Amino acid sequence: MASVTLENVSRMYGAVTAVDNVNLKIKSGEFVTLLGPSGCGKTTTLRMVAGLEKNTGGRIAIGDNVVSDSEKGYFVPSERRRLGMVFQSYAIWPHMTVFDNVAYPLRIRRRPDKEINDRVMNALRLVEMEQYAERPSPALSGGQQQRVAIARALVFEPEVLLLDEPLSNLDARLRTQMGDDFRALQQRLKITALYVTHDQAEAMALSDRVVVMHGGKILQVGAPEEIYRRPENRQVAAFFGTPNLLNATVKDCRPNGGQYYKLSVEGQGWSGDCHAATEMPKGADVTVMVRPENLHVRDAGQVNGDLSWAGEVSQAIFRGSHRSIMVKTPAQTLHVEASSLSHVDIGRPVTVAAPVEAAWAVRN
Amino acid sequence: MTIIHNRPLDDIAETAPTIAGNAFTRAFSGGSLWRLIGMLVLILILGFLTIYPLAMLLYGSLHSTPPGMAGEFNLNGYRSIMTTQNLIVLANTIGISLAKTIPSLTIAVFLAWIVARTDTPFRGTLEVLITLPFFIPPILTAMAWGMLANPQVGVINMVWRWATGATDPLVNIYSYGGVIWHMCQYSIPFLFLFMVDAFRAMDPSLEESSRMCGASRWTTFRKITLLLMLPVLTSSFMLSFIKGIETFESALFFGLPAGIKVITTDIYESINHRATPDYQYATSLSFAIMGLMFLLVIWQWWMLRGKSFQTVTGKGFRPSVMELGPWRWVTFAFCVLFFFITVVLPIGQLMLGSFFRFFGFYTYDMLTLEHYRAVFANSEFWRAVRNTMVLGLLGATATMALGAIVAYISVRTRWRGRNLVDSMAWLPWMMPGMVLGVGFLWAFAMLPGPIPIYGTIWALLLAYIALGTPVSVRVMTGAYHQLSYDLEECSRVHGASWFQTMWRIMVALAWPAFAVGWVLTFFGIMRELSASILLYSVGSETLAVVLMKLWANGNAEQVSVIGLMMMLLVIVFRWVQLSFIKSRISKL
Repeated sequence: MASVTLENVSRMYGAVTAVDNVNLKIKSGEFVTLLGPSGCGKTTTLRMVAGLEKNTGGRIAIGDNVVSDSEKGYFVPSERRRLGMVFQSYAIWPHMTVFDNVAYPLRIRRRPDKEINDRVMNALRLVEMEQYAERPSPALSGGQQQRVAIARALVFEPEVLLLDEPLSNLDARLRTQMGDDFRALQQRLKITALYVTHDQAEAMALSDRVVVMHGGKILQVGAPEEIYRRPENRQVAAFFGTPNLLNATVKDCRPNGGQYYKLSVEGQGWSGDCHAATEMPKGADVTVMVRPENLHVRDAGQVNGDLSWAGEVSQAIFRGSHRSIMVKTPAQTLHVEASSLSHVDIGRPVTVAAPVEAAWAVRN
Repeated sequence: MTIIHNRPLDDIAETAPTIAGNAFTRAFSGGSLWRLIGMLVLILILGFLTIYPLAMLLYGSLHSTPPGMAGEFNLNGYRSIMTTQNLIVLANTIGISLAKTIPSLTIAVFLAWIVARTDTPFRGTLEVLITLPFFIPPILTAMAWGMLANPQVGVINMVWRWATGATDPLVNIYSYGGVIWHMCQYSIPFLFLFMVDAFRAMDPSLEESSRMCGASRWTTFRKITLLLMLPVLTSSFMLSFIKGIETFESALFFGLPAGIKVITTDIYESINHRATPDYQYATSLSFAIMGLMFLLVIWQWWMLRGKSFQTVTGKGFRPSVMELGPWRWVTFAFCVLFFFITVVLPIGQLMLGSFFRFFGFYTYDMLTLEHYRAVFANSEFWRAVRNTMVLGLLGATATMALGAIVAYISVRTRWRGRNLVDSMAWLPWMMPGMVLGVGFLWAFAMLPGPIPIYGTIWALLLAYIALGTPVSVRVMTGAYHQLSYDLEECSRVHGASWFQTMWRIMVALAWPAFAVGWVLTFFGIMRELSASILLYSVGSETLAVVLMKLWANGNAEQVSVIGLMMMLLVIVFRWVQLSFIKSRISKL
């Protein structure tokens, strides 16, 4: 397994920049996910690594070998990059059986029949499809096709495994299960994997690191928890779920002893403490992010958190796993995810509170 | 909007990677040199097949003498076609084409509806029977109907006279009605084939929701079904109209004897039936009709611009089938009647004609096998069989190979020049066989001496390839459109080169379409008459040409024998196509 390096990689379509100066290093055995809304350049980035698109700027290396260098006009075509890839549509060739599909990369490389047979059956066993080897491939369900696509991508032990939204065509329940299975397989085989998705939950559950992209640029790279809890800017914060984003002004800033800084902030009708990644001057305008699941609704006047807002309940929606409560405060309406057992009356005055660890400030 | 990278250094390679690969991979990693050479060769081939005859047509129309002779340039050709008489020819051409398109379209829609949307019994078999006339060379049905509905000795009129005691014939095939009647027989199955899938693939929920909104069955048909079908109907109408203008056989057999001329027969006559062939007149007329076709094709584009043909959604639903009750036997009978008139009657006539000593005298003592003996002993017949087979096999293969390459380049690549290639391949679409024949006459005559194509079988082969290419490109374009790009890219990523991918994935997946197109092209070559009749010479006759010659000599009996055998061949081929290819396609 090899690392993947992207240096200042860009891709222009005429005057349109699809991927803009992307720098990324994927370590050997690491699972990295490109995450972003559709049209953010994540699939183009993946296709450039695959060699299905030529980068118009920068260079790409797999392991120690440069595979594409736009300045030198050097480009290794897909078939010589030793990659495995799982397509969104799975691209299972309909005129072949399951076995033939998986054997294809080996047959292309003219391996002896004995070896092909062993390795194909091994790969099929890995995805628990060995009993389907002789099936014609159109007779497979979506989940089975996806397994075959993974077996085919792994069969010749590629340098890197590329996955382009491989779970998006499956139904919700199967998607979670296939995702978990795939993550377990990746950990066991220590495969370097580059994964593209627009699904935040998928990205967080599967990846070692998540790359958040928007408008062809990388917004942030980091571990899922890091990105979720400590986004670098408002855009990344807003991308995951529906956080409460409050405008505030810095009153005081001091190191909290660890990696972060502790801020005292004041907003419209509220004040309190929160954390931030960098030191901020007094009087700076910041956005404070508080996730709905970290907010608590208490009786009015009862304050036992680091941050609190007074307001009244404007809406309560039962969603099964939790209850969404909207609390109208002088600053803005806050979204709270409470236990589905909790019960609140519309119009009741309440206090919403959050611990200091749950509040994260970024520069506007 | 500024985006802050706090820790970009972690994400950049610590050590500069080294460049791998050798000089060869670097030089050919784009493959641009070979691609350039390939494109140039392709453009040259297509240029020779389409642009060159077209240019020669223009040259010939301005040239005062027949091909290959010294002469001067003038506009006499164009002056000579500007006559009142030719205005009638033009009116005839357009009028006949319109008059056959409207009833053909109506009947074809009805048949398509019966087969695709009703519970008429044996719909699958009926579909095969209804489409059969499309594959029968029109020259055969023309000859058969010439015998069936001959005003003096035609079977239909003889039966009519015997049954009613009348002296006047019931029908006379040598009339406007006869020409139109014969054109319809070919047109209806053609339109049926063109439309039936659109009827079948229509999403039934569109109609069902109309019913749910309170519309009756009839209102739904008028306001939803028909309007959804409008783009298909419009394009069918235009296509049928254009094909009608190109038609040669019907007007040749039934129009000329009655003095009804259309443009194609006028071109033919001016070369073959005048004391001295008037090439300049024929060429000018050809160029003029091509101008007309060009306008029609532009009009067709303009009419259909932006119209969606996307009634096919690709979902595996079954169309709602209308239950007709006892009426389903009426629709069944209608289909059977159509088959009887267009296939059984002509075949019956050919059989009748082949076993009696003289055409028209059907008594017991006239029964004979002498015509069969005569035909089988005729070396010219066997030569024509060989020529037709060689031309069919070679021509269909070459045409489909060319079509497959052109379609691939225009659909699946972003290579420079792909639009040029596509347009060049499409050019013969607006050249009727007769016009292309005239163009090639000039083109071959103007070739330098050491390339002796004119008068050989290769002249016919090249003309057939040019005529068939637009259809083959269309067939292969459709096939490629159905194959997702992923299938190809996936193969590349997993280590297969471009050629390996072509062979193992694209060819393997597209070959059923190739085979279907191949059979279509083969049938096209077998029934081709208008270009063949201009380009053949002694030794390179095809079956159609031999039939024409025998017919012109009044040998209707031997025509029947040969015709019957061609019919048999068509039916066998069609059967093979249906049972073999269909089963392979359904396996995919």
